[in-house]
Amino acid sequence: MNKKVWAVIKREFVTRAKTKGFIIGTLLFPVLVIFIFSAVFLFSLIFKPSTRQYYIVDQSNQIYNEFVSMNADTFKNGQPKYRFTEQKVDSTELERALESYQEMVRNKQLDGYLFIPADVVESRQVKYSARNISDWDELRDFERALSRIVTNIRLEQKGFSANEIRKEMSQGYIHLVSRQVTQEGEVEKSGLSSFGLAYLLGYMMLLMIMIYGQMLLRSVIEEKTQRITETIISSIRPVDLMLGKIIGICALGLTQLVMAGLFIYLAVAFAEPIFTKFGVTDVGFLNFIRQIDFSSTVFAFLIIFFLLGFVFYSCLYAALGAMVTTEDEGQQMQMPIIFAILAAFFMMIPIIKNPETPMAFWTSLIPFFTPITMFGRVAVSDPMLPSGAILSVFTMIIFTGLLIWVVAKIYRVGILMYGKKASLKEALKWVRYK
Amino acid sequence: MNVVDVENITKRFGDFKAVDNVTFSIRPGTVFGLIGPNGAGKTTTLRMLMNIIIPDSGKITLLGNSNNSQVTNLIGYLPEERGLYRKMKVRELLLFLTELKSMPKKEARQAIDYWLERLELIDWRNKKIEELSKGMQQKIQFIGTIIHQPKLLILDEPFGGLDPINTNLLKDLMLELKENGSTIIFSTHIMESAEKLSEDIFLINKGRRVLYGNLHEIKQGFGKRNILLAYEGNDSFLRQSRLIKKYDNYGQYVEIQLVPSADAQQLLREAIDAVKIRKFEIKEPSLHDIFIDSVKETNNGGNGHE
Repeated sequence: MNKKVWAVIKREFVTRAKTKGFIIGTLLFPVLVIFIFSAVFLFSLIFKPSTRQYYIVDQSNQIYNEFVSMNADTFKNGQPKYRFTEQKVDSTELERALESYQEMVRNKQLDGYLFIPADVVESRQVKYSARNISDWDELRDFERALSRIVTNIRLEQKGFSANEIRKEMSQGYIHLVSRQVTQEGEVEKSGLSSFGLAYLLGYMMLLMIMIYGQMLLRSVIEEKTQRITETIISSIRPVDLMLGKIIGICALGLTQLVMAGLFIYLAVAFAEPIFTKFGVTDVGFLNFIRQIDFSSTVFAFLIIFFLLGFVFYSCLYAALGAMVTTEDEGQQMQMPIIFAILAAFFMMIPIIKNPETPMAFWTSLIPFFTPITMFGRVAVSDPMLPSGAILSVFTMIIFTGLLIWVVAKIYRVGILMYGKKASLKEALKWVRYK
Repeated sequence: MNVVDVENITKRFGDFKAVDNVTFSIRPGTVFGLIGPNGAGKTTTLRMLMNIIIPDSGKITLLGNSNNSQVTNLIGYLPEERGLYRKMKVRELLLFLTELKSMPKKEARQAIDYWLERLELIDWRNKKIEELSKGMQQKIQFIGTIIHQPKLLILDEPFGGLDPINTNLLKDLMLELKENGSTIIFSTHIMESAEKLSEDIFLINKGRRVLYGNLHEIKQGFGKRNILLAYEGNDSFLRQSRLIKKYDNYGQYVEIQLVPSADAQQLLREAIDAVKIRKFEIKEPSLHDIFIDSVKETNNGGNGHE
C-alpha cells in the first residue's frame, strides 16, 4: 500500500486510540455489559418477586378450583406466582362489587380480577381486568387454563368421563423440538436464542456505524475548519487522504470490537466459576454467551458484511463531511444517513424472524440495507448461509467501489470549499469536475 | 532547465474564468513573485501547480516532470489557508508531515530536532499544538513546509497574519533556502515584500497576465524612470543634454526625466564633466506605482503591456 496512505491510517488510528475516552470506553464497555447483566441477575436474587393477587368471581361455580390448581406455578425460590381469592357475589351486588375491585386495583391493594360469567361454557368469554395487561406469559397461562377447563366441561357434557378426558389431554400434549437443517445434518438449536443473537449483532452493527461514522465526520470537518486540508493535500492525493481516514477509523472500530469481545470472553470465563461457587448455574447471560458458536463460513461472512457496511457508510459520512463547513451543520445534515441505518435496522427485525422471504432476499441486495439486514440474516441462519449471501457480497463490493469513486470526487472538491455548505445538487456537479 | 514551466493554463469555475491562458517559466535558484490584487487568480494558479486542482487546459511541468504528483516530495507548500491538527503533539505532527513527504524516519527525526532547536521550540516538542501561541504555531508551520529541504518552495501570501518577528524569520528562511539552491515562488498582494524579494515577477489581474519578466527590466521598461541629482555649479548642461526629456529644478536638487532610450550612465558622465556632484540617484518607479498603473489600465479594458 501507498506509504502516505499508511501514514494517514496510522495518524487517524493512533491519535484517537491514545485518547482517554477511547481507552476508558474500550475497557469500560465490556465491564459495563457484564455488570448490567450480573446486576439484573443479582437483583432477581435480592429482591423477591412479588406474588400477584387476583380476585376471581366465578358465577358458573365450575371453574375456580381447577383454575387455581392449574396456576400453581412458583418462582425459582419457591414463592407462588399468583394468589387467587374467590369472591362470592350475589348477582344483584355484582356491579358494585366489580367497581370496588377496580378501586382496589387502582389503589394497588389488588393486581387484578377475573370475572367468569355463569354461561362461560357457552359464551366462552371471561373478563380479565388488571393494572398491567402486558405480561404475555401470564395472559397465556390464564387463557390456556381456562380453555382447558371449559373444553373438559364441554367434553363431559358430551358424555366422556372425567378420567378419560384427563388421560387423553395429558397424553395429547406436543413438545416441539426445534432442529435446524444444515449441510452437516440436523442441529438442535433454540430458535429464540438465535433470533436474540442476530438482533444483538444487528444492533451492534447499527451502533458501530453511527459511532464511527460520526467520528469520521468530525475528523473530515476538523481538517476543513482548522484549515489543515491544503497543507496535507499538497503532499498526498485527496483520494488517498480519504481512504486513509476511512481505513484508519474502521481499524479503530474493529479494534474496539475485538477488544470488547475478548474482554467479555475473559469476564465470562472468570465469572462462571464464581457463580458456580455460589451454587448458581443457570445464569441466562452466561448461557447466551456460551451458545455463540458460529461456523467458520458464517463467521467469515459476518466479518465481510461488517467491513463492507462499515466502509460503505463511512463513504457517505466522508462525503457529508466534505459538503458541510461546521460540525453543527454536519450533525444536522446526517439525518438521511441515520434514517437509512435505522430503516435497515427496523427491516432486519421481521427479516431475522423469517430470513428466507422474498422481502428478506431483495432488501439485502440494496446496499443501504445490506450491511444490517444481511448481518442479521447470516447470524440467524448459522451454520448455513442465507440465500443470496454471496450475490449480495458482490453487489455490495460493486456499489461500495462505485461509491468510493463518486465520493472521492466530491471529497476532492469539497474539502477545499470554505464558506457555505453545499447542496446535494452542487456536490453531484463536483463529480463531473475534471 | 526551468524549474517550472506553465503553458497556457486556464481554469474556469462555472462561468467564471479564474485563470485565463497564463504562461510563465521559473529559472532555478530564483525568487519568483506572483503578484496581484485579491481575487486575481494567484491561489488558483498555485493550487494548479500543486495539483490540488486540475487546469481545464494547458500544461504544467514541475522540476522536469509533467505528472506533478511524482514530485510533491520535492516541493514545500505553505498555503494561504493554513492550520494544524490542534490535538497533536508538536513532534508527532512534524513526524506525520515528514511521512507525507516520504522522508526516511531517522533523517526526519534529526531534522525535526534541528529545527525545533533552532527556532527555540525544543522545549515544546511534547506539547499539543493547541497549547502553543499563534506565533509558535506559525513557526511549526514553517518547519513543516521546509523540513524536507524542498527544491521548490511555494508560498501563498506567506506574510499574511504574521507578526514582525515571524515575518523576518520567514524571509531569512526563504533566503537561506535560496542560497542552498532552492527555487521559490511566492504570491502576494503586498508590493513592498514582492519588490524586496523577487527577481522575476508575474503580475496577474482578473486571471490574466498584466506584466511578466525580470523585475529590474520591467521597471526600466516602464518609462517613468527619474533621476535625482544634487550638484554645485552651472545648470546649463541640463538644457543642452539630448538625454533629458524634461526636468524640475527644486533648488536643492533637480528631478530629471530621461528620454525613453537614454542611458543614465551617459547622463552621469555628462554631469561629472559639467558640475560637482553631491548626489546622483536613479529612481526606478516602485512596483507599487507599476502595479497601480497596470491594474488600472487593465481594469479600464486595456491590454496592459502586451
